[in-house]
Amino acid sequence: MGLSIVERPTPEDEAELVAACLAGDVAAQRALFRREFGRVNATIYRILGPTREVDDLVQETFIAVFRGLARFRGEARLATWIDRIAVRVALDHVRARKGTPVALGVIDEPADASVPDAQAHAREGLRRLYAALAQLSPEARIAFALYAIDGRSIAEVARLVGTTVVTAKVRIWRARRELMKRAAEDPVLKELL
Amino acid sequence: MINVDPPQNETRRDRIERNVFAQLAQMRVSDRADAAVPVPATSNRRAWMFAGLGAAVAAAVILVVMTKSEAPPPAPIAEDTTPSRIVTPVGGESQFTVGDAVIVAASDTSVDVKRAPDGGITLVVARGAVDCDVAPRNQRPPFHVIAGDVSVEVVGTRFSVARTPSPRVDVVRGKVRVRAPGGTWLLAAGDSWTPPVSGSAAEQVAAEEPAPEIEIDRTPAPRNSPTPTLTPTPTLSPHAQYQMAQKLEATDLARAAKLYRTVASSKDAWAAPALFGLAELEAKTNATQALTDCNEYLRRFASSAQAEDVEWLRIEILRSAGRRDEARVAATEYLRQWPQGSYAGIARRIASPP
Repeated sequence: MGLSIVERPTPEDEAELVAACLAGDVAAQRALFRREFGRVNATIYRILGPTREVDDLVQETFIAVFRGLARFRGEARLATWIDRIAVRVALDHVRARKGTPVALGVIDEPADASVPDAQAHAREGLRRLYAALAQLSPEARIAFALYAIDGRSIAEVARLVGTTVVTAKVRIWRARRELMKRAAEDPVLKELL
Repeated sequence: MINVDPPQNETRRDRIERNVFAQLAQMRVSDRADAAVPVPATSNRRAWMFAGLGAAVAAAVILVVMTKSEAPPPAPIAEDTTPSRIVTPVGGESQFTVGDAVIVAASDTSVDVKRAPDGGITLVVARGAVDCDVAPRNQRPPFHVIAGDVSVEVVGTRFSVARTPSPRVDVVRGKVRVRAPGGTWLLAAGDSWTPPVSGSAAEQVAAEEPAPEIEIDRTPAPRNSPTPTLTPTPTLSPHAQYQMAQKLEATDLARAAKLYRTVASSKDAWAAPALFGLAELEAKTNATQALTDCNEYLRRFASSAQAEDVEWLRIEILRSAGRRDEARVAATEYLRQWPQGSYAGIARRIASPP
């Protein structure tokens, strides 16, 4: 196994990148997009689950990023600032969809006979997880997804959703309690949690 | 921690990247247009505008009185604060932004833009048609379009509203709520709405273009009220056609290609992304045609931000077709133009002698 080294840009590099993007340097803008895409994509996907809307929301996030870059003051890391935008976009989307019943089939993927049972089982677990998450309040859903699925710390969740650590903790706890209630009657979901 | 792995697909990433930069380019054009919208400054112009507005209000009152017996309560229209009017000449097209919405006014269109103190936006189409790209309104101020006695409330979408030659609403993405004499309709992406029209022309259109089966959330309409016609033949702006072509790629390649070609053949800002989309689409089935598209792109849009991607697509098509020597030449050409480009590493491997 080789050692992989991930280069983290120094603040100076980041400031230079932002400045180049603001100056209209397309190469810099593309570099910024490619650097941040993976994380933004992962965050939105983990909040929403396997829906076709993920692409639109990732796109919306980056447009908001580039349109608002002039307002980035460099007080936080650029990645944190971008993550906040992604979370805001996802939250707006979830709020807009709240009240719309999400049937399991809505986030269904085509059945594939060649997929091994374990994978099909895992996929079914995910379907049930996101159907259960859709029943939570948007705020609780986002907090739980960031913490329990995207692997953020509670402090990070609080920063991203713009609330206190205590509030973030309470939202995550409430979400988990609701999910566990559902899992008590759903062995597939229980296994996943 | 619950393990949920997001999809890692470079084609998808490239597509999103392309859409982001195409949309940003379009927004820059819109911003310039927005900045160019004349603000009525002189008292004479203002007086004329108020006179025009007065006439429009009087006409609206007459319309309301005429249709009151069968019309539902009209959509709430916020108080005006700073109205401005955009008039597009015959054969022209105007693009402007209002808040977070991007509006394209079609040829021979007159539209008043009104902003309410709460930030709400109302477009009043006096003549012609507008194409609107509007963000979901969940937490944002309301957005309405009024075209005569037809009121369109945005739920969050891209859609077009025409007043003349006849009222019509086409939804490309998202949902809108249409209020008009006869009831209220919730239209989703792909739906079109026209009011009941007497005469054979509308019947002819309906006969030529069978109405799609759609679910309409309809609030109670008066019994025996005429049913609006739903037809799927929108007259959309190049941007809307481009977006529709993207969606059609999943279901109808031929129609998607046709739409891409229509936009690519125009002189609109979306011609370049459409030609790229067409080349990518045809690369799946017809390598020769896809290469022709790539060459056309590089000839017409050599200095565009996506030229590098198109050059790379050309290399990939040649490699997939087993035309290794040509791929090698193309990779060398790529490196000459973009020595530090996104695909430089793999281009070097392809360009190196076997």
